[in-house]
Amino acid sequence: MTSLQDSPAQTPETEQRSVVRLQRAIQIGLRGRIVLAVAAVAMLLSVVLAVTTVTVAKNTLLTTREETLTAQALANADTVSGALGSAETADLQTLLSSLPESGSPLLLTGAAVPRSGEDPSTVSVDARYGIDALPTEFLDSVVRERNNAVMRFRFEGESLLVVGVALPDSNVSYFQINQLGDIDTAIRSLGLRLAVAALLTTIVAVGLGYWASKYALRPLNRIRDAAESVALGQLDTRIEYADYAADPDLAPLVANFNDMVSALQERINRDARFASDVSHELRSPLTTLNASIEVLQNTREVLPERSQQALDLLSLDMGRFTQLVEDLLEISRFDAGAVRLELDAVALVPTVEAAVRMVAHAAVPVEADPELTDLVIACDKRRLMRILANFFDNARKYADGATSVTVELHEPDHLGIILSAPTVRISVEDSGPGVPEGERDKIFDRFNRGDQGGSRGIDMGVGLGLALAAEHARLQGGSVWVEDRHDGAQGSRFVLELPMIEPLEADDPEDLAAVTPAEAETFALTGQMPAIRLDETPDPAV
Amino acid sequence: MSETRAVGTRILYVEDDHRIRGSVKLALEDEGWQVDESETGEDAIISFGRSPTDVVLIDIMLPGIDGFEVCRTIRRRSDVPIIMVTARADTHDVVAGLEAGADDYMTKPLQPKELSARIRAMLRRARPAQPGNPHLQFGDLLIIPQEGVVSRDGVQIHLTKTEFRLLVELANSPGKVFSREDLLEKVWGHGVFGDGRLVDVHVRRLRTKVEADPANPRHVMTVRGLGYKLQP
Repeated sequence: MTSLQDSPAQTPETEQRSVVRLQRAIQIGLRGRIVLAVAAVAMLLSVVLAVTTVTVAKNTLLTTREETLTAQALANADTVSGALGSAETADLQTLLSSLPESGSPLLLTGAAVPRSGEDPSTVSVDARYGIDALPTEFLDSVVRERNNAVMRFRFEGESLLVVGVALPDSNVSYFQINQLGDIDTAIRSLGLRLAVAALLTTIVAVGLGYWASKYALRPLNRIRDAAESVALGQLDTRIEYADYAADPDLAPLVANFNDMVSALQERINRDARFASDVSHELRSPLTTLNASIEVLQNTREVLPERSQQALDLLSLDMGRFTQLVEDLLEISRFDAGAVRLELDAVALVPTVEAAVRMVAHAAVPVEADPELTDLVIACDKRRLMRILANFFDNARKYADGATSVTVELHEPDHLGIILSAPTVRISVEDSGPGVPEGERDKIFDRFNRGDQGGSRGIDMGVGLGLALAAEHARLQGGSVWVEDRHDGAQGSRFVLELPMIEPLEADDPEDLAAVTPAEAETFALTGQMPAIRLDETPDPAV
Repeated sequence: MSETRAVGTRILYVEDDHRIRGSVKLALEDEGWQVDESETGEDAIISFGRSPTDVVLIDIMLPGIDGFEVCRTIRRRSDVPIIMVTARADTHDVVAGLEAGADDYMTKPLQPKELSARIRAMLRRARPAQPGNPHLQFGDLLIIPQEGVVSRDGVQIHLTKTEFRLLVELANSPGKVFSREDLLEKVWGHGVFGDGRLVDVHVRRLRTKVEADPANPRHVMTVRGLGYKLQP
């Protein structure tokens, strides 16, 4: 009932929608963040694990191989050393070839590192790895300083291990070069596998995170659904506290939510009761006034002329006052949430024609798309009629009456992949001054009469009619607006757009509006608006 | 004043607010009705039995016995047309009033001229479509519009005037589907934007009387999405 004192700029419905939208945004964000966090942690862990594994594996493999090869090289060097005294150079070649696990053995005679260009005195088996393949410092250490040494190095892209043994009691050095390429290949293959595993882990983690977030947010989803249901007018919605009592994080939230909804319900009930009481209090004296004026009207001709004039003025303003009270009561019902949609199977065109006959003072032509002739939609007939009556009222006040009415089918707009449902548009045109662009939204506000407000004659309205028309339309999932006349002529075109909701197959006319007294009582006393989800066919019984 | 002045038609008007009662009584008397007043439900029930009454007009909000109870009590004793008056047009009052046996309802502020039109519609007699055919037979159901008699299997059924008019309206065109609007206009004299619940509640009441099994009606049939018809 606050509307009697002040008129809030935002209607309850737009508030509800923004609440719903806000909830969705938060929900997606939170879930997204959880998924991202889980995926990032999983990826980091698996990468670290992979790198560590590769490093450790590589070192282990190399160390083992190095030890094996070194031991073998020392053994081979012994064999060579023993054979050196008796064998010829040609035999050395054979000897080197016969050494086990020797890779590419090489013998160097002399205590100096051969310079480049110099022909060193070497015996080798594999021409690929000559003495110049070996790093100089390594040669130095073995050949000149007579140390045994092991070294890993790369030569022409190959990973090699060289073991150098300074053979005792001679100036001969034994070198054994082994390829480590197989270890490299193994490590690369391992690394690749681990990378794939890391990738898979991350993907699994995304799924897991998604599932976990869904699981974690499931209680919140129930709260969200409940909030949405409350926003849609189901004020008896509560969340089962027992389901959350064990959860220290959610229990207070659920309890507070339930308390809040109870308080809201209580307030709305109070408002609805108040609206109902006010309605009674205002309508009772109006009945006396209307009846008394009618009695006076019946004897108008016997009254003195001045009394006749006074009576006429009284009658006119009585009509206006009655309408104002009705409008205020209607709008306060919207504010209190005490409105009830009475969906009926309505033959649209005949109903519009009948409404026009009833509300138009002069005959106004109704043009309808031929394909709409037999159209029957689910709609609230009384509200349809109120909207048209308000359009006609408005046309009468500002434009000397409506000139034509059209009923058209509006095909879906193709907005990318979003297909809107087909709608019907009922337009009332006049040939008045039209509504300036900047005023077009404002005229649907309460008590707004546009620029010419107050400049017209005695049956000036109070500007609630169009605001009510907008509420009536919105309640049925439709909308109202004003635009230029389509034929380009001066004047305005007030449009009512209604969704084409098919009446349910099971439309038993007696069930359409018939509710049990108990149900009716619930609605009337709680002032509860039925939950209408416009993406579904509304149940006409609500 | 009015040409259709129904001299001698008595209305019992039950309303606790004396200003409303006084002014509406004056306006109704101007329309040519005789108005008996009652201030309380108890008073109304007593005076209903005492003097002949053609129409009862009851305000729902009464001190003591409320309008619904008055309506039920009178309905148990008589088939007199009853119009409920409510200050609230919400579903609760309207449906409860109709369930209590009211024939029609009006919301405040009352327009006496419209109220008069409703009363005239209530008092209109049901007439057969073809005067030469006074008997309408539908299986076990026999309707004699002229005499206001309906019987099933030879047993006479008691209907209120409105129920009877509704039945005759359907029976005059057997098989024809009447929309709720058609029936509102023909039986109640309402416009297209009358309240369809009037029809629904009356059809239900009619079925409990004329159908052997009201849950599976064989005479007064519902045509889904369209309206009602009488099965020929």
